[in-house]
Amino acid sequence: MEATKALEKVKSSLTEDLSSVSSQPSLDELKIKYLGRQGLVNSLFKTLPIKTDSKIGKQINDLKTFVESEIKARESSLLSVSEDKIDVTVPGQLPPIGSVHLITQAIEEIENIFSRLGFVRRRYPEVDTDWYYAEGLNIPKDHPARDDQETFYVSEGVVLTAHTSNGQLREMELMGKPPIKMTNIGKTYRRQTDATHNPMFHQFEGLVIDKNINITHLIGITEHFVKAYFGLNRTVRLRPHHFQFTEPSFEIDISCGLCEGRGEINGSRCKICKSGWLELGGAGMVHPTVLKNGGIDPLEYSGFAFGWGVERVLMMKSGLNLPDLRQLFSDDLRFLKQF
Amino acid sequence: MDIKLTNSAIRRFLKTEISPEEFAEKISLCGPTFDRLYKKGGDYVFEIEAITNRVDTACAYGVAREGNAILNQMGIPTELVGNPYEQQINAHESLPKIFNIKISDPGLAPRFTAVSLKNVKIGKSDKDVSTLLELCGERPINNAVDITNELTMLYGCPLHIFDLDKIEKKHLILRESKSGETITLLDGSKNKLSGGDIIIEDGGGKLIDLCGVMGGKKAEVDENTKNILLIVPMYHPRKIRKTSLFLQKRTIASQIYEKQPDIELCLPILSKAIELFGQRCSATPSSKIFDFYPDKLSTKVIDLDLIWLDGFVGVQIERESVLDILSDLGFSGTFKGENTLTCSVPSWRHYDLNIREDLAEEVARVYGYFRLPPVLPNVNLSTQEPNKLLTTELKIKKYLAALGYSEVFNNSLISKDLIDKTSQLEKDHFKLTNALSADFEYLRVSLLPSLLQNLKNNIGKTDLPISIFELSNIYLKQKESSLPDERSTLSLVTTDNFLRAKGSIEALFHHLNAPNIKISPLSKENIFLQKQRSAQIEIGDKIVGVIGEVNKSISHKLDLKTTPVMTELDLPLLLSAILPGYSYQPISQYPSIIEEITIESKKLVGDLLQSIKESDRLITNVTYLGSFKSKHSFRICFTSQEKNLDQKSVEVIKDRLIRLA
Repeated sequence: MEATKALEKVKSSLTEDLSSVSSQPSLDELKIKYLGRQGLVNSLFKTLPIKTDSKIGKQINDLKTFVESEIKARESSLLSVSEDKIDVTVPGQLPPIGSVHLITQAIEEIENIFSRLGFVRRRYPEVDTDWYYAEGLNIPKDHPARDDQETFYVSEGVVLTAHTSNGQLREMELMGKPPIKMTNIGKTYRRQTDATHNPMFHQFEGLVIDKNINITHLIGITEHFVKAYFGLNRTVRLRPHHFQFTEPSFEIDISCGLCEGRGEINGSRCKICKSGWLELGGAGMVHPTVLKNGGIDPLEYSGFAFGWGVERVLMMKSGLNLPDLRQLFSDDLRFLKQF
Repeated sequence: MDIKLTNSAIRRFLKTEISPEEFAEKISLCGPTFDRLYKKGGDYVFEIEAITNRVDTACAYGVAREGNAILNQMGIPTELVGNPYEQQINAHESLPKIFNIKISDPGLAPRFTAVSLKNVKIGKSDKDVSTLLELCGERPINNAVDITNELTMLYGCPLHIFDLDKIEKKHLILRESKSGETITLLDGSKNKLSGGDIIIEDGGGKLIDLCGVMGGKKAEVDENTKNILLIVPMYHPRKIRKTSLFLQKRTIASQIYEKQPDIELCLPILSKAIELFGQRCSATPSSKIFDFYPDKLSTKVIDLDLIWLDGFVGVQIERESVLDILSDLGFSGTFKGENTLTCSVPSWRHYDLNIREDLAEEVARVYGYFRLPPVLPNVNLSTQEPNKLLTTELKIKKYLAALGYSEVFNNSLISKDLIDKTSQLEKDHFKLTNALSADFEYLRVSLLPSLLQNLKNNIGKTDLPISIFELSNIYLKQKESSLPDERSTLSLVTTDNFLRAKGSIEALFHHLNAPNIKISPLSKENIFLQKQRSAQIEIGDKIVGVIGEVNKSISHKLDLKTTPVMTELDLPLLLSAILPGYSYQPISQYPSIIEEITIESKKLVGDLLQSIKESDRLITNVTYLGSFKSKHSFRICFTSQEKNLDQKSVEVIKDRLIRLA
């Protein structure tokens, strides 16, 4: 009889507890109080003489089922209790928000475009010897191209690269022989600073060498990049140019996105382009001397190369309307966090 | 080289119906680039960029010659007239020799032509001549000087005149200058020469010409001049460039000479000049023509395999077009076998054409790059090993941004001042020999100094905490190489506290799957850090980075007004700690028992944690809750893979843990 009493006590205490419960968390507490490992129901197994009276065990188990169903019933009745209204217009509690730099975003996009075409990305030195940077690229010591490059020097034969083309010979050495298909993206440096130049900037270099590589392939890759990066409606043109390490050499233009290649908007000259065209950068067929310097037979293989500015394509694309390229190198978080 | 030419000047040589606008657009595709075009003075002015190796196009006739070849391929009717190479040349052999020219070294002037003129009447040029010069960016001076400028503009071959009576003994010596010699030039400037410049000295030992750059004041032609010495020389290109760059006199003549114009133009231009001096200054020659030309230019011959040409360009070009293009550009050719064309290079292209690829360019550009289709090459590159460093860098940047850090890009170059303020040593850095400014002179050996500056620049402008990072190469000196070791490095700076900063780094390591990285007290001094409040980041026995509070003297010198926490990590070393794959711990089917305990101990919390974790295999997770003096609380999770745990076995382990102290 004592057992029955104890069981009843638990039952009545439950009824009382349940009636005063008004929220899920306090209901959860009740669950632990009654059904937990050390809860009221389980402790009956310790306090009541279950070994002498075999019925008691069953009664406790019945009680357990009862408690479970009562709690469950209360749980579903709680669902219909309406809670305080949330002002959903109060700003959310933000986690800390950082940012990936625009230049990193551009490099990722560029790398992805070329990797879809099977280019492997490399990283070659940003400070390099005269051989890789100039001499080996068919730019002899006293050539005027040397002072045109506006190059920073750290010692007699060591420069801060003004272009990423130093990766060309290094890639030929790495691969030993064609096929070669790579992009080299890195920091480059020139001794100039104005609205369109920062002394440090980034270039991406492309190099393809194999049997039967020709000018139409350079055009194909260029057009693919331009359409993928700037949009399908953009077009490309090549103009003759001169670089020591390519022959022939080209200057590549893309049609202006602002005036859509017309060179004028509502009768006045387009502010950002020259007669409907924007300069993308230089390219050309790898000079036979450069192939030779890289240990590749120019009678058997040919190739093309290009080196374009990351900041330049970024400024051309984004419609950022940054008045000054150097602003990309600002450390002002009010600027950086916008992207 | 940028030049200005008028439409009418070009049309003297090229007869065509095409409009100036169309002309500019079409020529730009295949030849020199026309940057701008505008109407002025009843004419059109073109701003043209003559490509650096194409000095032959830096004049009206050169542009007309290009235009003729290009428009022909586009099916536009044209006629090229006024070919200077067809100029009649009269050597005036019957006239006396009245001046003396001594050239000390033919290397300085491979050709030198000259003639003297008498009865010169100096006055103003006609309106059409002065207008033409003005439109082309030249200042009209007088009828004599204007002839030289006009001919340069038309034919791209510079010429110069002296007042013959101002040349002492009518004697000229062409030689290299000695260092320290001075010359006053036509622009009135007095210049001290560095030596090695090409100059002309007169019979009185006075310098009268800074050759190829600008004439001297001494023998200037003025309104009283009666006798003129007219010269059309060719000079050593690099020497002219050096002189003009050194003295910053970038005259049209110097820009042409440094690019090696056609040596065969000298006599035709001299003859044209004699004609014009007759017409405009009523002058007549008073001497026979002087022509110093010891080494005649030999005709250069290049073979062009037409099958190779098609393969290299990527389309088949009809043979007729190839021959038309080459002929319009001045080549003559004969077939050697069925497919090889032996091409003789015209004198005006002697220096820039050397190999078959050069000829391919001539054919392809005039044929029209715009006619070539875009083709994606099929290159069977063998599978390359993925570049773990590059992919990890990007993964790190994105994750840090998600943790609230903002990426900055700083210049790799810093100032001596910043090196000093951050207690670094100048000798550890590569120094530029030709820096633009003192602000950007040394290559960084750590990213932290720049980041601390970034922090300072942002304090007061944005809410705290400020958390920034940079991932860039640093440039370390190496013993065995003149090149730096370029090491990819990650640095973070935050105004948040040490534990939060450390938490971010730990979360990053977890994200990168690099679980075996340990953070322990600094074993040696670090110039950037307060030793008692900093740690080193280790993989095995290698130190891969540091984290800690910035040294107070550095924050003070940089005027930071706060003590930020900084982290710097060497990425190639960090890579070695990234596990290639994930290992998997099965989740137990049995419930865990979670207990909190407090241990009193003098040990470091990290060491305690480590000992707790290692003390029993039933302990599957330990969370640090906090400390009060030397009492440290932990929440411990006990789990068995095999059975339901009972309280008793947990209590036994707990007892053992409390004695760990």
